[in-house]
Amino acid sequence: MENSKIFIGYLIYLPIAITLTYFVSKTLFKNGKTFMIDIFRNQEDIALATNRLFEVGFYLLNIGWALLILKIDSHHFQNTYQNLIEILSFKVGGFSMYLGAMLFLNLFLFFRGRKKARKKSISEKVPPFHSPQAG
Amino acid sequence: MNLNIIAYSIYVLVTGFTIIKVGLICYQNGIIFMTNLIPDDTEFCLKVNNTLLIGYYLLNIGYAILALSGWSTIHTLTQMTEILSSHIAIIICSLAGLHYFNLFWITKFIKNLKQ
Repeated sequence: MENSKIFIGYLIYLPIAITLTYFVSKTLFKNGKTFMIDIFRNQEDIALATNRLFEVGFYLLNIGWALLILKIDSHHFQNTYQNLIEILSFKVGGFSMYLGAMLFLNLFLFFRGRKKARKKSISEKVPPFHSPQAG
Repeated sequence: MNLNIIAYSIYVLVTGFTIIKVGLICYQNGIIFMTNLIPDDTEFCLKVNNTLLIGYYLLNIGYAILALSGWSTIHTLTQMTEILSSHIAIIICSLAGLHYFNLFWITKFIKNLKQ
């Protein structure tokens, strides 16, 4: 029965996509905290809040996309395990490349924010590792 | 048992959980984010934040329930997975879009709102 093979494909694809997203975002936002603290000049609460907001956006975007591309077209499916492996490899590979692109996009945003914060702190003559409220 | 009804219940549980959880996280962290943007008026921030949360719940839960009406009949488990995933994906992607839109909108325009 061709449907059962497609269902096996879904059962393999979904855990892979979700764990990939989980590990990538865990790594990215564990390190993103450092960037955020640098951007917001040591104000830890706002840095952590912004980090969390970006994390939520990252999860939503990626899991949403993973679910959106899940469907395997049954008309072009040849009903063999070979075909199933080929389709799955295309899907998982494409998804992980998309995740990589998203990772670099987020990194780019972090770097841009950091550069802007540096420029601002130089023009305002505020030392970068010093909270404005404390001084 | 009818597969459509099982799919509907899974759909309502998953989307409801996601929408409420994301809304709460954004509400709690958004208030810190906003008070940083307008440091002198915390009450205004709270009001804007509350309005945003209510609007978000109305829009998303309303759309999620509305989207229940047009499902095709489900015959197999495979079909159920496909249809469920595509419907949940639409909800989650629109959540992501709204979330990023809100982030950029708030940082760009909230200072002008105050003046």
